[in-house]
Amino acid sequence: MKTYVKILLGVVVFIALGGIGAALYFFNLQHRNLGKAKPDFVITAIDLQKAFEENESAATAKFVNKVIEVRGSIESVKPGEGSILNVTLKTGSDLSSVICTFARDADPLKLNAGNQVSIRGECSGFLMDVLLNDCSLIK
Amino acid sequence: MKRIVILFTIFFFFLAANGQKYMTKNGYIGFFSHSAMEDIKGDNNQVAGVLDISTGEMVFQVLIKSFHFEKALMEEHFNENYMESDKFPKSTFRGKITNLSSVDFTKQGKSDVTVEGDLNMHDVTNKISAKGTVEVVQGGVIAVSKFNIVPEDYKITIPGVVRDNIAKTLEISVNMKYAPVGSK
Repeated sequence: MKTYVKILLGVVVFIALGGIGAALYFFNLQHRNLGKAKPDFVITAIDLQKAFEENESAATAKFVNKVIEVRGSIESVKPGEGSILNVTLKTGSDLSSVICTFARDADPLKLNAGNQVSIRGECSGFLMDVLLNDCSLIK
Repeated sequence: MKRIVILFTIFFFFLAANGQKYMTKNGYIGFFSHSAMEDIKGDNNQVAGVLDISTGEMVFQVLIKSFHFEKALMEEHFNENYMESDKFPKSTFRGKITNLSSVDFTKQGKSDVTVEGDLNMHDVTNKISAKGTVEVVQGGVIAVSKFNIVPEDYKITIPGVVRDNIAKTLEISVNMKYAPVGSK
């Protein structure tokens, strides 16, 4: 076999392996660890809930799909399916709050009603409450 | 006289409303797709729901973006290609327990129920019927159900290339832990 054929073959194999590797990498990509992601907004739970209650469409355009670091006082902690934890933060309203869902790495010992916390998560929008997903406890 | 009537109406309303409505904002709805190619599971732990035990009415509401997947790419495809969650952010079910008389809400225990109603998602509304159980427990009511839906019924088009990766019918699981309205 001529040298240039060998080199060409080597290049083709290299590209093919690279392509397969990249495809597998993107297919299996896990969620971003939002605990390390830079937040797009840092805001109190009171202000975040107020923004959605006053103008839902404007707040949706501004906050949804963004990483938000929300500060507030924990009203309640409720377990969901599996190891999920739902942490509700107090706001200015009795009926509406900010609900932060922790999918993993949640340490329930640090999450108690009355605690002042900073939680980072991705905003999904507003139902009766402002909903954050994929949350991490910052402090 | 007028004032008394108003007071009486308010009093009666409170009496009727008290202990009749149950709700949760931390309910669970998940879906599961099994195919020869792969299993896909989406979980939503932010389901808002109200149950009126005097009429058997049930309302569920979810944000599509609150469905969570194991892989980031699945979540992206679900939101952008299939559910178009920027255009249709919410899904709602409004229905009723059809055999309400077979549930005794005054004592603890589990009963089989059938719920019928309208499921709206992806801007399409369909009548559905689901079997499940309602369990009266200390301080609340737990409602559980499993039923199937067909994505194409909701104008969700799945491209031919990946059609074999997604089951023809999806299994929906519901698990709601309701508390009486007014309790935290």
